[in-house]
Amino acid sequence: MISLFSRHWTWFSLLILLLGAFWIAISAIPPGSPTVSEIYGPRQGFLAPDFTLQTIQGKSITLSKLRGHPVLINIWASWCPPCRAEMPTLQRVYQQYKESGLEILAINATNQDSRSGALAFIQQYGLTYPVLMDTSGDASTAYQIRSLPTSFFVNSKGNIQEIVIGGPMSEALLRVRIESLLEEQP
Amino acid sequence: MFPIMQIGPFAIRVPSLFIILGLWLGLSFAERKAPSRDVNPTTLYNLILISLVISIIGARLLYVVRFRSIFTSNPRSIISFNPGLLDPLGGVALGLIAALIYAQYVKLKLWHTLDALTPLLAVMGIALGLANLSSGNFFGSPTNLPWAIQLWGTYRHPTQIYEIILATIILAILQAFWRRESAPGIFFLSFIAMSAASRLFLEAFRGDSVLVLNGLRQAQIIAWIILALSLWGIGKSRNQTFT
Repeated sequence: MISLFSRHWTWFSLLILLLGAFWIAISAIPPGSPTVSEIYGPRQGFLAPDFTLQTIQGKSITLSKLRGHPVLINIWASWCPPCRAEMPTLQRVYQQYKESGLEILAINATNQDSRSGALAFIQQYGLTYPVLMDTSGDASTAYQIRSLPTSFFVNSKGNIQEIVIGGPMSEALLRVRIESLLEEQP
Repeated sequence: MFPIMQIGPFAIRVPSLFIILGLWLGLSFAERKAPSRDVNPTTLYNLILISLVISIIGARLLYVVRFRSIFTSNPRSIISFNPGLLDPLGGVALGLIAALIYAQYVKLKLWHTLDALTPLLAVMGIALGLANLSSGNFFGSPTNLPWAIQLWGTYRHPTQIYEIILATIILAILQAFWRRESAPGIFFLSFIAMSAASRLFLEAFRGDSVLVLNGLRQAQIIAWIILALSLWGIGKSRNQTFT
């Protein structure tokens, strides 16, 4: 069998390439088929799963209503050391980029935390961006959170551009990603 | 899907573990096989080590240069452990250049060295499949087949498992033909041809292909070109051997 391939290598190669070209043609995707950018999922390229959560002051915020703005979703808990370490950096970049349209939503995994712990944390770090309370854990489930903190960089169309699992994120990383989101804005 | 393993305060990235494991096993395998391809195992080890170190340092430096205004105001971030602050393509290019310079310095023969590196690349193919399975990357298109896996909100082709199976078959074929006499480079080109054919086939089941030219999958076109070049290269090397 091998010697047969050896003797007719050119014909064998052409046959393989012809079959390959045929496979490419039949596996093409018809125009208009749905792409991942239209599907909700906690993954790069997908639409960020929507949620409506209340801030610690009781104001309701819905993610989909922020379309048109780049959004950084940061899921955290007050007992988590890397979450504590990156909060001052988040506050600094928020101050710097909020005028350009950046929104930061810090979702407290309240089902794994305590309301009093979260409140003390917000006061300690003087956070001015919305801190949302995920009391039921639904948002953490929808975003398939396996480690805290986890951050999702969502572009103005609502698609997840990048996910950073763990922390603390460096200021350079945050600024590079945020500037990239802002550049994408229409 | 199992992307993160939480051990106390540490979030270990499982895909990275598979890549490191693949690198270690593949390197041991390649070192064992290298003498039969007329390559010194220590030289091969040094070649890979130099290439890896330069890739990582180069990827960070290129990233810093690209976003120098941000790093000027945050110089501590230059030595941050964050893997997001890397320019992967630039790093790979610098790693390859470093490998070429070292290979020239120690007078390594190109095709013999590529043949000696093939076991490492073949093992890395399996490791990459396992890394994709744990991260959920390289995911399949939706299907109703009984072996579909639930991923990203629906039942999909387990493309990562197909990838692991094909990479294992490629490694087994290479292992079977390792002792066969062949012209330098044929072993490496055969691996490239089989890997390109595997990608061309698997891409059809992917759910996130990049599309070009009215719905054609970009990765399949690139794989087809690589397949054509490697088949031509094998034919050419064989003719030179027989004349």
